[in-house]
Amino acid sequence: MTEIDFIKKNKQEPDRKNPLDGPAVEPDQAWFEQPASEPPFARHVHTTPLHLVASTESRTNDWTVWNGYTVANTYTHIVTEYDALRVNAGLSDISPLVKIRISGKEVVAYLDHLLTAPVGRMKTHDTKRVFVCAGTGHLVTEGVLFRLAETEFRLVARSKHLDWFLDAGIGFEVIIDDVSGTLAGLSLCGPRAPLILADAGLNMAADLRRGKACWEEPARMPTYVSRTGLLGESQFELWVDPEDAPLLWNLLLTAGRRHALKPVGEAARNMVRLEQGVLLEGYDYASAFASCEALSPATPYDLGQGTHVALDRPTFNGQAALRKLVASGSGRVPSAFTLMGEEGDRPGAVYANGHHVGRVTSHTWSPSLQMHVAIGLMDIQGLGTSGVYTLDVMTGNGQAQKRVAQFVKRPFLHNSAAFPAD
Amino acid sequence: MIDEALQYDAIIVGAGHNGLVAAAYLAKAGQKVVVLDSSSYIGGAARTAEISPDYLVSTAAHLISAFPRKIEKDLKLAKHGLIWAVRDMATVALDLQGRHITLTSQGKQDTRVMSTHEPRDGDTWSEFDRQISKYARLLGRVLDEALPDIGNVVSAYEAPLAALRLERMGSADLRAFLRVVPSSMAALLDRHFEGNVLKGALALDAVIGHHAGPFSPGTAFNFIYKKALATRGQGLSYPVGGTGAFAEALGEAAETMGARIRVDSHVEQILIEEGKAVGVRLADGTQFRAPTILSSVAPRATCLDMVGARHFETDTVRHLSRIRAKGATAKINLALEGLPTFENFTDKEYGARLLIAPDVKTVERSFIAAKRNELPLDPVLEMLIPSYHDPRLAPMGHHVLSIIVPNVPYEVAGGWDARRDELVKKVIDTIEQYAPDLTSKIISGEVLTPPEIESKFGLVGGHWHQADMSFDQLLAFRPVPGMANYASSVEGLYFCGAGCHPGGGLSGLPGKLAAETVLAQRKSR
Repeated sequence: MTEIDFIKKNKQEPDRKNPLDGPAVEPDQAWFEQPASEPPFARHVHTTPLHLVASTESRTNDWTVWNGYTVANTYTHIVTEYDALRVNAGLSDISPLVKIRISGKEVVAYLDHLLTAPVGRMKTHDTKRVFVCAGTGHLVTEGVLFRLAETEFRLVARSKHLDWFLDAGIGFEVIIDDVSGTLAGLSLCGPRAPLILADAGLNMAADLRRGKACWEEPARMPTYVSRTGLLGESQFELWVDPEDAPLLWNLLLTAGRRHALKPVGEAARNMVRLEQGVLLEGYDYASAFASCEALSPATPYDLGQGTHVALDRPTFNGQAALRKLVASGSGRVPSAFTLMGEEGDRPGAVYANGHHVGRVTSHTWSPSLQMHVAIGLMDIQGLGTSGVYTLDVMTGNGQAQKRVAQFVKRPFLHNSAAFPAD
Repeated sequence: MIDEALQYDAIIVGAGHNGLVAAAYLAKAGQKVVVLDSSSYIGGAARTAEISPDYLVSTAAHLISAFPRKIEKDLKLAKHGLIWAVRDMATVALDLQGRHITLTSQGKQDTRVMSTHEPRDGDTWSEFDRQISKYARLLGRVLDEALPDIGNVVSAYEAPLAALRLERMGSADLRAFLRVVPSSMAALLDRHFEGNVLKGALALDAVIGHHAGPFSPGTAFNFIYKKALATRGQGLSYPVGGTGAFAEALGEAAETMGARIRVDSHVEQILIEEGKAVGVRLADGTQFRAPTILSSVAPRATCLDMVGARHFETDTVRHLSRIRAKGATAKINLALEGLPTFENFTDKEYGARLLIAPDVKTVERSFIAAKRNELPLDPVLEMLIPSYHDPRLAPMGHHVLSIIVPNVPYEVAGGWDARRDELVKKVIDTIEQYAPDLTSKIISGEVLTPPEIESKFGLVGGHWHQADMSFDQLLAFRPVPGMANYASSVEGLYFCGAGCHPGGGLSGLPGKLAAETVLAQRKSR
């Protein structure tokens, strides 16, 4: 009996009378103030607003660090959580993402200057995948841009570069704030995610198309829901006040009980991310300002995101360097390989027809495909159109081997929202 | 509305001496050029004006140290009224005991006097002078050519070599030179000399115009760079009529060659269309159009105020907005009823550049005071009596005294209005230690604090050279890395002021090299 059948059999009416539906609470200004006893920067271990509720779900006490915050690596078991993402739904804490609020009269001109593609055509509640380049053409960071209002945007970025955002604003009438601390993020991902949202009373959000966002008010908690994220079609992200975040977390877990919703840690999310073939800052490439060697940063073209670069328009960051790059025709391509082997194998250098073309930067054992999947940035000229691809592999028992790998198209596996109606 | 009559080949913003040199060279090559300046006279900081009726003085810059003979001949400046009153002016380091040390560029130094201060100094002088001159000659070669854009140099390790063209040096010289580059002037002097007056004067020479003290790292290089610039010119020179007359001659040369000079024309905006500079708009709304714009205004003000930061990538904006241009120099001009009596002066010494810096520590202390936004206790000074060479500056028998006061803070504690007189008193008290009858001869005077230099001459931060001339802001790093070849990243926009290579000092070289770059690029197109 599958888990879904089990749920169907034990189907209960969801508890519509939510204990959270109390009278609206006026926000107390004291919530936003630093406790007097704690000077700024005094804390070395940062926890997210969801830390307490997340830790009650943790059975493994397995934590990891993301942007300086402690988040769960696993809650129960990596395979259980992976299955939840693939088959039902998983709930995760994505609060460590960097959130920058950009507003003001010239906000569109500013963003056009900062980003590799213009944003003027975005409508309110549209989202857009955006790339921030340095003058060298390498990525400072990437993220998702939300248009909240005519003159207000929010940039959710992988890493913190407030100084760069501020310096790019010299000469523009804009206000740039780091609002990371005032906004918690939850990710709801999996084929059953829309059903869970509907059960939680977020009907508008449940019908969102990919790349759109809307305001919802579950249990009178203002929540911005967007169908965005790196995990593909079936991912929703919910942005909420830090004070409301634990309540929203519990609300979704309650509503998701009959859909086998599970809290999912970073380890399982990373597996799905890899199956999607998504290259991630900090794993597959480094920010332009954080890299020491020439090959660790990447340009948008290296990531296969050339469609997100519009070169022929007024000056933007990286324009001159990217123009030169396009003219030279050199660069790298994101490449995906599958190879047979054991779970503990670690692939490294990649050879095409015997020539070194790059290295694997992320790899995982894919339970769905029953093989190893590996991605990395390979030299565009060395890679060629066809050939024999060999990978250096360090096996679980410490043996170095050369193994033939298959060059495959990304993504390895689609994470679609399609799910048989129940 | 675009007036056809206002269509030019090149527009030059700012009629400072560099702007005029650039205009003259472009006009000479057949370009239709207009020079626009916001003030009502030409020359910028090269200006001669009255202190009071009948007493004329070079208001700001008072000596020309690096103006090449080549420019003078190319532009036929002698024909346009440039007459040198004195060339290769000597420098006299004043001594309280009256044993003044005279330094000339010809190697006829008064080593005998040096030896009376400290016996060994007379001997080590020639070795020091030989070494510095050698470095200056090596460095001097890169000063009259445009430098490679460091961004195009392949390896990061090659960049500093390319910046200095050091590959031209022999390895022994290179080693010795690289030892000097990061040194402080005080350390360099301690390696050679013992006499306080000599060391004080050389230390003052190294830091004058900079926001630095002789113990600041890199000041030894400043000294060499200054000497190198001087190798391009004809020694310290003073033109008849002051530096204003020098600018007038340049203006006349430019106009003769066909350039149009328009004063009272404040350029408010450099117009950019489709990423290209296409013209300028004046404060009164008049538009001038040209495919090439050269700005002799400081690069930072040009890019961030006149063009707008949005037309540059953030890396460039970062570099531009972090250019150090902290004014550290004040000017005092006095009208005198006769020559002040300096003790133990021969007639000849009145015509020299006079330095008051009793020792290195006094120079350093004045910098420390400036760092703390305070006035120096004992100011160090550079003085000149231009009327000694040029009697027309003052009525017969009367004189003007032009004083540069280094290490004066841009912002002073308590505000300049409250403390301007205090600065003047300190300076006059200091001079009176050497010339006790100075006060009795003063008829009138004027003082220019750094903020006043800023507002009067449009020099941001009151900095004479538009940007500090230290190693990190010179050569291929001037004005900012990636723009060293006079072209900005905006097509059609060029720099031609002291803010670019090789820097300030009334050399005219930035203007000439910028014009040559523009012409070469036009030809290659």
